[in-house]
Amino acid sequence: MKVAINALQAPSGAATGAKGAAMKHTPPLRERWRGRRNLLPALLFLGLFFFAPLISLLLRGVLEPVPGLGNYEQLFANSAYARVLFNTFSVAGLVTLISVLLGFPLAWAITLVPRGWGRWLLNIVLLSMWTSLLARTYSWLVLLQASGVINKALMALGIIDAPLEMVHNLTGVVIGMSYIMIPFIVLPLQATMQAIDPMVLQAGSICGASPWSNFFKVFLPLCRSGLFSGALMVFVMSLGYYVTPALLGGAQNMMLPEFIVQQVQSFLNWGLASAAAALLIAITLVLFYFYLKLQPESPVGNSNAR
Amino acid sequence: MSAVLNDKQPARTLVSLRNLNKHYGDFAAVDDISLDIQDGEFLTFLGSSGSGKSTTLSMLAGFETPSSGEILVNGASLVNVPPHKRDIGMVFQRYSLFPHLSVRDNIAFPLAIRKRSAAERDKQVDAMLKLVQLDSFAHRRPAQLSGGQQQRVAIARALVYEPRILLMDEPLGALDKKLREDLQDELRQLHRRLGITIVYVTHDQEEAMRLSQRIAIFSHGKIVGLGSGYDLYQNPPNAFVASFLGNSNFLRIKAHGNGAASFEGQPLAMRLTPGLAEGQEVLLMVRPEKALALSVEQVAREALPAGWNEVTAKVGEVLFLGESQTCSVVTAGGTAMTVKALSAAGMPMQPGDTVKVRWAVADACVYTQWAESDLNKAAGAH
Repeated sequence: MKVAINALQAPSGAATGAKGAAMKHTPPLRERWRGRRNLLPALLFLGLFFFAPLISLLLRGVLEPVPGLGNYEQLFANSAYARVLFNTFSVAGLVTLISVLLGFPLAWAITLVPRGWGRWLLNIVLLSMWTSLLARTYSWLVLLQASGVINKALMALGIIDAPLEMVHNLTGVVIGMSYIMIPFIVLPLQATMQAIDPMVLQAGSICGASPWSNFFKVFLPLCRSGLFSGALMVFVMSLGYYVTPALLGGAQNMMLPEFIVQQVQSFLNWGLASAAAALLIAITLVLFYFYLKLQPESPVGNSNAR
Repeated sequence: MSAVLNDKQPARTLVSLRNLNKHYGDFAAVDDISLDIQDGEFLTFLGSSGSGKSTTLSMLAGFETPSSGEILVNGASLVNVPPHKRDIGMVFQRYSLFPHLSVRDNIAFPLAIRKRSAAERDKQVDAMLKLVQLDSFAHRRPAQLSGGQQQRVAIARALVYEPRILLMDEPLGALDKKLREDLQDELRQLHRRLGITIVYVTHDQEEAMRLSQRIAIFSHGKIVGLGSGYDLYQNPPNAFVASFLGNSNFLRIKAHGNGAASFEGQPLAMRLTPGLAEGQEVLLMVRPEKALALSVEQVAREALPAGWNEVTAKVGEVLFLGESQTCSVVTAGGTAMTVKALSAAGMPMQPGDTVKVRWAVADACVYTQWAESDLNKAAGAH
């Protein structure tokens, strides 16, 4: 999971790096590629263990069972498959929304509380992230099931008569995944908030901004970069998440990763599975492109680079 | 609306602080301050860090709530008014511009908050950009400006909504000396042109002298001196202000009747001071530039004028400081003194020479009460 964070931060870093290089005098191509032979082992490694499997997988989508785009056609035309796509997007969108709504106040609290306490809160968030994914997902199962703690408590209090169905459907998936995704929004958001000069907010209020408009006109725009990167990470991760939907979701409301596993394991339909995987990769790349386009040059980062 | 006009008008109190206190636990950051700020004046809070000047300013801005006491503006209490409703402008030490907005939008921010029409907003922002001479930088981000330019944007942002009072918290502290002096001149002219009330916080006494009409000197959460820079420097109200502002020589003398005293056994004259007991120890303060050091030959040539004092001392060190020179001397009793003169006047002494230090009786201030720590230059902070 740490890798995922780094992977998300890296492109923005690389982009600014490239911009910086472009502004400087660019040496001739031959100069820049001098010593390219040293790259060979790394390229070989990447090609052999990364690109080759990926390409062979993507090729299966257009070659099996017969060459052509039949698999993609099936994916969009079949209403059951389209339903899987719709589920995937709505769950990912809902999870992103909920984790933003819950993660934002949490990140803010971590930033605002006195130094030592903030570190404790952050450690709790990190600790939950480092606990086994399976253990956390199963514990949600325990909490949410018909005879689970939550239902029993609600029934004992007389709020409900019959147990709520909160698991083995998309509700359970959304609850479980939101919980797992919150750290991924809190970490970048908290880093952004930490960098905001509190005096800027004081300046906002002395300029006449009420706490409300100070929040929307000053604080929120300054949080934008962290909010963007966190939300994108959560959305992209949610699109491809398998374990939680498999355990907390139901058989009738599948998400794309479950669908892929089902196609491969039950029906040995590699063609359709790889077409679905390719779709997931394509969506992620498109989102990433927009992220890089929309991501403003971080205003907070700039103000700190004095 | 010029300062000249204001000088002719009878001074009208705009802000008054009444018995203002701010405690953090047992610690009194601001200790029972009462102060009247006149409409249109440039008042500076001067003090070392931790003396309570910034806390007082924060209470004026509304970022800190007084533990007790009143803040009145035009007679109305401000204590329970939140900062955004106080209609006060403020310039911060680290500029605190909105990093996500352009210069133009930064200056327009207070107007946008006040929901002024776009046309009016544009007009006022343009006028402000012209005032602070940043017309050509309107579309830049704060991060693309130098420190001095950022501070000018901050001043424009604080002035654009025409607040009654402008607070400035060490606004030039982060800039280098040359730029600071330029901006001080600009600020003084701005104040003269706009006639706005400015409360300025600084620890730099030269800056305070250069800018303000009145200075309030803070020490240990109290105002220990209040007046024009000239009065505070020439006639410090107490030994602390004397040692804090500029340099000073302190002589411990014994009073003998009215206007007479002795210093290390030599007779001295001093200003008439009421209420002195025979033999009471008092403190005499002479500014280094008011004292003269004369070599033996000079003394032989020039007799002691009437109304002047003279003590004998030995030269310790002569320093050349460019436009001025200082000479440190030690009297027979071990009292160290410094004499300062313009370089043009010349100082022919050598270390080890015996000299006579002279000063006019009228130029020496007399204090009957003082604390030892007052005489220490670094005092003033908690």
